[in-house]
Amino acid sequence: MEITKTIAAPKAWLAGTAMAMALAMAMTGPVSAQDGLGTAEEPIELRFLANESFAATWQKTLVPEFNKIYPHINVTIDGVPYPEHLAKLMLDATSTTPDYDLLLVDDPWAPQMATIGALVDLKSPEIAAMTSQDYDWDDLHPAPLAAAQWEGKQYGVPVRANMLLMFYNKSLYESAGVPLPTPELTWDTFFEQAPKLVQDLDGDGTTDAWPLHTFFTRDQLTPTIWQTIMNSNGGRLLDDEGKPAFNDEIGAAALDTQRKLLDYAPPGALGHGFSESLQTFRQGAAASMFMWGSVYKTTAGGSDATTLGKDEVGIQVMPAGSFSAGAHRGVWSLGISTKTDHLDASWAFVQWMSSKEGEAFNASQTGSFPSRLNTLNNPSEPWAEPVYEAIKNAYDVTIKGEMWRMRHPKSDAAQQILADEVARALAGQATSQEALDTAAKRMVRALR
Amino acid sequence: MSKDTSKAPRRGRTQWGDLAVRWSFMLPTIVLLILVLAYPIWYTIEISFSSFDMMTFGAGEWVGWENYAWVVDDYRFWESLWVTLVYLIWALPIQIILGFGIAYMINAPWRGRGLLRALFIIPMVVAPVVAGGIWRMLLDPIWGVINWVFGLVGLGPFDWFGDPNLAMATIVIIDTWRWTPFIVLIATAALLALPRDVFEAAKIDGAGRWATLWSVALPLLAPVIAATFVIRWLGAVKMFDIVLASTLGGPGKSTSVINLFIYEEAFRSLNFAESAAMAMIVLVLTMLLTGVFLIGSRKLETMH
Repeated sequence: MEITKTIAAPKAWLAGTAMAMALAMAMTGPVSAQDGLGTAEEPIELRFLANESFAATWQKTLVPEFNKIYPHINVTIDGVPYPEHLAKLMLDATSTTPDYDLLLVDDPWAPQMATIGALVDLKSPEIAAMTSQDYDWDDLHPAPLAAAQWEGKQYGVPVRANMLLMFYNKSLYESAGVPLPTPELTWDTFFEQAPKLVQDLDGDGTTDAWPLHTFFTRDQLTPTIWQTIMNSNGGRLLDDEGKPAFNDEIGAAALDTQRKLLDYAPPGALGHGFSESLQTFRQGAAASMFMWGSVYKTTAGGSDATTLGKDEVGIQVMPAGSFSAGAHRGVWSLGISTKTDHLDASWAFVQWMSSKEGEAFNASQTGSFPSRLNTLNNPSEPWAEPVYEAIKNAYDVTIKGEMWRMRHPKSDAAQQILADEVARALAGQATSQEALDTAAKRMVRALR
Repeated sequence: MSKDTSKAPRRGRTQWGDLAVRWSFMLPTIVLLILVLAYPIWYTIEISFSSFDMMTFGAGEWVGWENYAWVVDDYRFWESLWVTLVYLIWALPIQIILGFGIAYMINAPWRGRGLLRALFIIPMVVAPVVAGGIWRMLLDPIWGVINWVFGLVGLGPFDWFGDPNLAMATIVIIDTWRWTPFIVLIATAALLALPRDVFEAAKIDGAGRWATLWSVALPLLAPVIAATFVIRWLGAVKMFDIVLASTLGGPGKSTSVINLFIYEEAFRSLNFAESAAMAMIVLVLTMLLTGVFLIGSRKLETMH
């Protein structure tokens, strides 16, 4: 893939000139990437702020591949822990001398980042002029693509899509004599089957396998389970006027369902979050797990961290409510800082990473979930076939049920309020209805 | 009688020179304090009375007491203050009593005492996040070794981090494990500094170990105990890292101490102005209570 060359370092006072030049160059046809972006003597240095969970892998795997096409663009990927990620993005974006050209933005953050003017609109004429002719926007599935949209603009492209899905341990289902889950599984059936999935595998008189595990700790991810159950029953976070709508009967019943899940989770589950639930499942101590799908490859025989074999793990959408099956969108999108001095090189990297070739490489080498229909319909490895099927199903379900976190410049504050109140309800410190009413009241103030 | 008027200007010059030298010694410290203490406090005060401008990441429009009113009206703020108070009420006395008790017991000369004192330092030098993580593993209800040990005698398993009532006890246990050695070290030094003749006199008078402790050692140690309490109070009131690493403030709001709440409001919810107001309220409360404790400590010193 070739990227059109434009001028470097578009300062504010040069923006008009830059755009005119870019348009003129676009009309004259693309210039070879290797010729245009950096030289061996003076390579372009790009810095990329990413999540620590996969920053090192991307640096080791993706950057060398990118450098085969763009040898004179050096990309340094810095990892930051998730809890500090948004604050670091905001601090850098508002700094007069920002460090980062490329910003990795989680699903609910795009409105916040867009509101402070931190991200370049990737569908602007300026960027369009630099875009390769074979870069296919329409091939990107609308569900993950929407994660970086705000007020009609596109502030990023999905580079690591994710969905909250149901994992299941086939061996534990078989040993309990319970049929394997299908996408038609409902919450009612799940709870009917759950008691059979409490098992004493070694016959020592104590339980060593439980029906499920997921997030229960006081954390921003925990309300996503409740929200998925609520959405799959037709509930919504906000009404059409943007006011809280989650504290209705459907919302309270969904929170009661998440509390009921605790009855079938291992001891200590109330203090467990992402890591603990994942470890429990990987140790073969939970028959099912509601978890981000991206961990599939390293859970199903793909790493030393798991005891489960390749064919032992199933994956599908979460159980259905009265409206639809459940899923929850959690897409990492890659955007470009408006303060970058290397807009063309940054866009070259973003384009490569989200191109058909780049995405396929990322998916096969690092296990990142794809957003392109081209990749989803052509899994490069056998393990990916059922997984991509589940993702496609989840994408459709999320659009239908608006299964994503709040789209608002203060979405993080709203999510923290939900985390507080869902945690109170799960710990029995408030009823589901009380907790959601309190959250709704607080949210009205927070979203002012 | 004539006066030697020529010496006056010289004395004046000397005084000014002396003053300049003194200030030149103090200047680096003053600059450092302004940079690392006064400026951040002033910045926090400024933000607490303003709306927070995300575009500049600084104080925006002046809003008066609005942020303070928002904080005072937030039940979570009061709940977090209460949780902090509960933690302090449990942790401080336990650590002081344990610290001085252990110091008193190991004060007698015996071989290996030095090694034991050195070992005591280990919990203090372990990073709080690491300590929190290790304790999470040790106390895990399924795989943790501590529940396994309890299981051997027919107890448990205890849900250390998942039970809202037990979670605070767990935080106190971890904090006590970390900070009691610090108190042991201070107490040991204080015990060694006590006048021997008073103890010898007590022994001659037939006082037993308990009577010596109650009537001799404790009154003599009272000022040190009070000072240690103030030092430990100032450390404990900042409790944050262990909670972050072990319970994240949960379950529910059981261990959501005030500093964790301020951190979450600032860096997760991005409510920087409201967080600054909370920080100022906590700062004033801490200063007031520290003042009370210092007065109490001085009174004890005067009494003994």
